[in-house]
Amino acid sequence: MGSSEPVGASRPEPEPSAPGREAPAAEREPLILSVQHFCIHDGPGVRSLVFFKGCPLRCAWCQNPESWSPRAQLGFKPHLCIACRTCVEVCPNKAVTAPGVRDHGRCRLCFTCVDHCPSGAMVRFGEPRSVESIVDELRPEFPLFRQSGGGVTLSGGEPTMFPRFAADLARRLKAEGIHVAMETCGEFDLAAAGDLLASLDLVLFDIKVFDDAEQRRWCGVGNNRIKANLRAMVAAAAQGKGPRVWPRMPLIPEAIDTPRNFDKWGGLLQELGIPRMTLVPYHNLGDAKRDWLGISAVSLVKSDPDRTAAGHPRRVPGVDSCAPGEEVF
Amino acid sequence: MQAQVARSAAPADFPEPSERISRLRATMLSTPYSVCLERPSLLAAFAGSPEGRRARVEHPLVRRAMALAHIFANRRPHVYPDELIIGNMTSKRIAANYYPEGGSVNILEDIFRLERRQIPLFLTPAEKWRLVGLGLRGLPGSVAGRALLKPGRLGRFLDFFRAKRYFITEEAGVGHQVGNYMMAVRQGLRPADEEAAARLAAGTLADGTPLDSDTTAFFRSVRVTIDGIRKMTANLAAEAEREAARPDVSPERRAELLESAEACRHVPYEPARTFLEGLQACWLVHVAMNLEDFEQGMSFGRLDQILWPLYQADIAAGRLTATRATEILASFELKTCETMPLYSERIDQYFSGNGVAQGITMGGTDADGNDVTNELSGLILDAYAQCRTREPALHVRVHAGTPAWLLDKAVRVVQLGCGKPSFFGDPVVVRALEEVGMTKAHARDYAIIGCVELASQGRTYNSSDACLFNLPMCLERALIKGRGTLRTFDEVVSAFRAETRSAVDDMAMVMGWLEETYRVWRPTPVTSIMTEGCLAKGRDVTWGGGLYDYTSIQAAGFADAADSLYALKKMVFEDRRFTLDEFVGILQSDFRGQEALRVELATRLPRYGNGQPEADAMAQVAADAFSDAVRAHRNTRGGQYIPGFYSMTCHYGFGRMTGALPDGRPAGHRLSNGLSPVDGVERRGPTAVLRSAASLDSRAWANCCALNLKFDKKVVEGPAGRHALASLFRTYFAGGGMQVQVNVLDADMLRAAKEDPASDPGIVVRVAGYCAYFRDLQPAVQDEIIERTAHGLE
Ligand code: SF4
Ligand code: SF4
Repeated sequence: MGSSEPVGASRPEPEPSAPGREAPAAEREPLILSVQHFCIHDGPGVRSLVFFKGCPLRCAWCQNPESWSPRAQLGFKPHLCIACRTCVEVCPNKAVTAPGVRDHGRCRLCFTCVDHCPSGAMVRFGEPRSVESIVDELRPEFPLFRQSGGGVTLSGGEPTMFPRFAADLARRLKAEGIHVAMETCGEFDLAAAGDLLASLDLVLFDIKVFDDAEQRRWCGVGNNRIKANLRAMVAAAAQGKGPRVWPRMPLIPEAIDTPRNFDKWGGLLQELGIPRMTLVPYHNLGDAKRDWLGISAVSLVKSDPDRTAAGHPRRVPGVDSCAPGEEVF
Repeated sequence: MQAQVARSAAPADFPEPSERISRLRATMLSTPYSVCLERPSLLAAFAGSPEGRRARVEHPLVRRAMALAHIFANRRPHVYPDELIIGNMTSKRIAANYYPEGGSVNILEDIFRLERRQIPLFLTPAEKWRLVGLGLRGLPGSVAGRALLKPGRLGRFLDFFRAKRYFITEEAGVGHQVGNYMMAVRQGLRPADEEAAARLAAGTLADGTPLDSDTTAFFRSVRVTIDGIRKMTANLAAEAEREAARPDVSPERRAELLESAEACRHVPYEPARTFLEGLQACWLVHVAMNLEDFEQGMSFGRLDQILWPLYQADIAAGRLTATRATEILASFELKTCETMPLYSERIDQYFSGNGVAQGITMGGTDADGNDVTNELSGLILDAYAQCRTREPALHVRVHAGTPAWLLDKAVRVVQLGCGKPSFFGDPVVVRALEEVGMTKAHARDYAIIGCVELASQGRTYNSSDACLFNLPMCLERALIKGRGTLRTFDEVVSAFRAETRSAVDDMAMVMGWLEETYRVWRPTPVTSIMTEGCLAKGRDVTWGGGLYDYTSIQAAGFADAADSLYALKKMVFEDRRFTLDEFVGILQSDFRGQEALRVELATRLPRYGNGQPEADAMAQVAADAFSDAVRAHRNTRGGQYIPGFYSMTCHYGFGRMTGALPDGRPAGHRLSNGLSPVDGVERRGPTAVLRSAASLDSRAWANCCALNLKFDKKVVEGPAGRHALASLFRTYFAGGGMQVQVNVLDADMLRAAKEDPASDPGIVVRVAGYCAYFRDLQPAVQDEIIERTAHGLE
């Protein structure tokens, strides 16, 4: 603490610099990381999560580092590799020199190796998907969503990076009577997200480090806009003009899980009249995913899932808090 | 501000067990297992006695009834401390009964290492000698011995030990019944006894048909048997009275013992007058049924329905409270732990788990389809939550009208992590039973036999676990035999169907020999008394007396067969990556030098269990091949053969015998389990697994199926997990699901999955805020989850 050096992974990622991959001015078509089924801790009922690829933050503790870049990425899961060397043989650019060893400069992200890898060790992160194909994949689960009072949660990554696509998806689901929630880090252009927000029932709003400079140090981006968006969205919800807003806070030791940070958030949340929130236990599962992506782990934060209130009561003053899955939405 | 969120408090969700139940439970959990030699000793003594010599010239039905009555009348009664339902299942607190006329002799394979088995058995050296003597003497007289130790059939006898294509469980016994406990409790056995007497006096059946020597013998066997049961229960009553008279017995306990004695002097011959007597009647008849044939799958049926009027009357009269009823039920449920199966370790690989599956069915509808869930449905679950023992087996029927509270309570029991109860979808089950000739009203009165099998309670003689069948091996054989001749995928399917048919034909022939032997050497008068139809027809169930009669064959390796068909279709006939002969050659070499291909087959193709229609369509092809082959047969009693899709643990035993399969499964590896997808191929979570299963046409599956879901405790805990599971089940059953059971994982299962990722059945675990496939986690994270599971940490 105290240093102004960023602790997060705002370092350059090992990615090829193929032409045409820089963000165009208009909204790019999102890549979808995955659709995860039978989730019960990300909104009410039984839900499916649609993970968007791309995030403006680079939190040091991120559990989904494959969701940072909005571009498709190549990953390698060493525990699945059977060392058959197919990847070495099929790469048209001779970028793979040995299983799991890739010359990033040569790789053109053609994913030939992924198509041919027999074991699924070579993986592609991020697929272009149409709204229809996502809705079609989810449709067989609609009866379960209805039965359980669940629905779909847009997650990521950061869905607000793709406001048109996300709004379209949310609208299509709403039209079929499906409850739609979104998880967001709060760092987005509120005006651009108007349509999207209007199509949502619930926003799970991640709150992290209260202090702007501190958050910048941990996450690469400060949080003045995040707090402003939170204020505006809560105000809109209060007037019935926007989705319900439910804050969630990951319990990151040192950075977030500190009495001072709790107190400060407590002040703001009380001021906004937010009665309830979720505290999300932290686990560094993300480290494995960093290995798959070839990003060195920022192992600053140790896994401590069973840590109890060491030294402070872990209460956000004035706000009822509960664990994921215990919310009464 | 006070927290307004619902907190999870699983143990507190259930009423606390009384001290008595805690003590009884502790006893049942700490008592070592043994083998009871009383039954075979009594049989041997009977054979040598003057009465036994007289019996030898009697009709087989009477001869058998006399032997059984001798066992009933002469076994020593034991009344144990604290218990509210009395009647010892064996001569020891927990032991396997020994059936020389069945398959018990297999235990001699382990005779030198009984205490060192995975499930240790403790016998004194003298008992071991006695066991060997009884075992060897009994072998030629066992059903398998009598049926198969004959010229021309010896090969089949050895097949029993090879167990490649099928495993004929019926050689050990039929067992597996849901007797007419409704009759035993509400009318008692007296009407059956009097009916038999009346028939004998009149010399005709109820419909006027004159009795012949067989029907005469049947009615005599009924009377002899009931007389034996009455002696057994009188002896038990006397023992309870002796206990009560002991000076060191407390007044409260004395009153209980006298109440039990009074009950045993009354039931099961007379109708039960109280809730306690109702359960006591069930237990006494259950003991008799166990001593008669063998212990597997002897089930109680819909106890919440059977006992309901007695419960209501007791409550209304102020004789009983819900708390006391729960305690009586818990005492009853703990009684079911007194018995266990007797398997050698070799056989145990097919039926592992030390279960006998004494089923209790809850919920469901009446004959008109109205929900009949009642308070007792819940109390039975409450009682189990206090016991958490390996027995009994619990089953919940689900239909659109099932009240939310029952499903919620049942899921709370699932959350305890004992793998119980299992759930059954009424509409689909009832439809399947109607397909095999039951009236709608009778189908709606179904109860579960043992683990998952089906009967209209008290009306059905279903040899429901007659045989387990290795379905993928039929495909393996068809491919090998068909080398050079099979040109299209349709021809492959035809060859597979033909091979399946021929294996079932073979098996049915052996079964026929067993059925004949049963009729002569091992008829079952107790089961016949407890099965509607027998008294009307004057026939033992083994002679076709039951109102409904079936023989059931279960497929193991269903999903492996399905996925293998898909892989063949895709790789050989669509993508033309190989010729069929090349592919079969690769399989015969067990993928030697072709690991990449094997892994590709195993991981990259669509598989049954992911909601993918192209893969699920092949599952239907595999299911139909089996169903059609099975349904083509009738047993020698005239009953229909029906298919089931469950595998006990035969998928391990069969797997060892089965070569490499087109779905990438290496030779010797275990097969898929029941109706579940192949381990590790589910990629889209439990909703997709259930969707695939429910998409199959199950009308032919009158012996049901077993679909296992496995969850990390963290995924299903708390109110959110409970609500999710309940919703999942409702949606599954509304969508055509037949059966589902949930295992909440224990640390050993996770350790196994870590050691051998190929064994990981797509386990979903919760890592902090995330759910992930266990196999996708880093070893260190896996370790943490194993730790957490082992210690039950939050
Ligand atoms: S193709 Fe896949 S399995 Fe084979 S060496 Fe490459 S990464 Fe490993
Ligand atoms: S993505 Fe294409 S260029 Fe890159 S390593 Fe794979 S095959 Fe080679």
